[in-house]
Amino acid sequence: MTAPVSIVSAAARPSAQAGIGWRHPHYAELLESLPELDFIEVHSENFFAAGGAALATLKKARAHYPVSLHGVGLALGSACGIDAWHLDQLAQLVAHIEPLRVSDHACFARAGWSAASGDARLTVHAADLLPIPFNNAALDVMCANVQRVQDRLQRPLQVENLSAYLCFEGADRTEPVFLSELAQRTGCQLLVDVNNLYVNALNERLTGSTQDPIQTCIAWLNQIPKRAVGELHVAGHAVCADIVIDDHGSRVCDAVWQIYRHAQYRFGGVPALVEWDTDIPPLQVLLEEANSAKSLGFSASEAAR
Amino acid sequence: MSPLLDLAQAQSALLQALFGSRCDAALQAHVQLGGPRGAWHARGLQAYQANGSALAERVLQAAFPVLAELMGQDNFLPLARYFWRQSPPLRGDLGQWGAALPAFLDTAAQVADEPFLGDIARLEWALHTAATSADAALDAASLVLLTGSDPAHISLQLSGGVALLASAFPVVSIMAAHSPAAPDKTAAIAQAADQLRLKVAQHALVWRQGFKPRLRACSAAEHALLTALLAGQSLGHALHAASLRDDAAEAFDFSTWLGQAVQTGLMTGVYLLHHHPSQLNHRPHPDQ
Repeated sequence: MTAPVSIVSAAARPSAQAGIGWRHPHYAELLESLPELDFIEVHSENFFAAGGAALATLKKARAHYPVSLHGVGLALGSACGIDAWHLDQLAQLVAHIEPLRVSDHACFARAGWSAASGDARLTVHAADLLPIPFNNAALDVMCANVQRVQDRLQRPLQVENLSAYLCFEGADRTEPVFLSELAQRTGCQLLVDVNNLYVNALNERLTGSTQDPIQTCIAWLNQIPKRAVGELHVAGHAVCADIVIDDHGSRVCDAVWQIYRHAQYRFGGVPALVEWDTDIPPLQVLLEEANSAKSLGFSASEAAR
Repeated sequence: MSPLLDLAQAQSALLQALFGSRCDAALQAHVQLGGPRGAWHARGLQAYQANGSALAERVLQAAFPVLAELMGQDNFLPLARYFWRQSPPLRGDLGQWGAALPAFLDTAAQVADEPFLGDIARLEWALHTAATSADAALDAASLVLLTGSDPAHISLQLSGGVALLASAFPVVSIMAAHSPAAPDKTAAIAQAADQLRLKVAQHALVWRQGFKPRLRACSAAEHALLTALLAGQSLGHALHAASLRDDAAEAFDFSTWLGQAVQTGLMTGVYLLHHHPSQLNHRPHPDQ
């Protein structure tokens, strides 16, 4: 295994863009202190509203920062299609906020469900990022749904790779090949979550599919076309005895920074986001992580020139 | 079977398993559940189910804080997890999930001894939805319509998120007693309990003042007035409806009500029901 990179050596330098996920505990503090950030990211669904305090707060923040609208609920891989109501809400929010980027995940969440056999079937939403099999049928569904969103929003969407805790049977290609085809067919960009790659690789090690999680991630990145990636995500994860969970609840680990640096080297200095969604720490910790992402992103992309 | 149908069935099978208490047999056709790989998949399924349960607890606790306090954590959290599996979200915005909880509580055997909980949940859901309703500022210029216009030709614009509830229980007192702002919580809870024993019924009004969702008790007359106004009926009709419910001991005084309604943001303007050419500027805002 390659030795983890030291993030301490990455002193602050002029660099690639970096932002943080802006969550409720930091709403007021960010607006008061207005720290230097290239952009902030919010979950689109938290602002699906006709009005109210949260939307007003986001509009205030928009006056100071470019905003990236990151969705968790479009469910782009759902065979039953995306929810017209959801797309309406997103289009309205995009019109209000004029975001820097709009993104969601290569997952499904909507499908038919019935309370008991024989009961009426409803289309429900699992409120989770559920995996799809990497095959033609899922690719056709993803492409149709992504195209529908892009046609409505009149802008390219970014689609993010998942951390997944099970795999459907029937995959006939790898995830990076699947995502590359998606980008090629729809013109969408890819949002590569480096922590998700590493979580998946750690779980593959648990099932004996890999011995070297870092190299697995690097090989994954090397299958993605250089110009297909529009943003990178980094976050923390939780290592349990029998599973690794992508909980966004701790600092980015050294291995993820190492993979991130390779991604920045390969993709040539793309914007990076630090996500933190559980046990949210003081704002300063997120700013430190964003600073690391910025410095490492700069040095890696400079090295690539 | 077409590949698309197979994908749809696989996705449906996973959701049946996630919103069920056990792994659905149909999932085995699409996910390897045996052998070493199967053991990890079973663990993954458990992780997704745990995430759903945690979301259910967190989302309902945020939308129904008084209900959670009344029931206690030991009862509320299992209820949240049970409701998640009985009534899964229909939308990808969890702020929309929970609308069906009041009706669920009305018939749930677990809370049959506390029949007022359904109405408490109704009020909390109304407060929850009022918080994100459309913003509305006072259209002061439109108030001129109140003088000189026939009440049969005008109506009142109410703030976003207005909701009314005629409850058989002292729901406003119960809500107030469990509010973080209650000055003497112990005394307020004792008073609400007394009202519950005496079967005191209350009319409740939810509205938004600025960004703040508000709740207060209202009289039967005010309830009738606001019901008519919400239905888009004329001020004249609404005042007549209020007069029919007037209590001799506490007569409804429109002038006093109007001043308070403007001051507290309950009323945001006056609009013409019939468009007279000279007064077209006072039609309600299209968003409202």
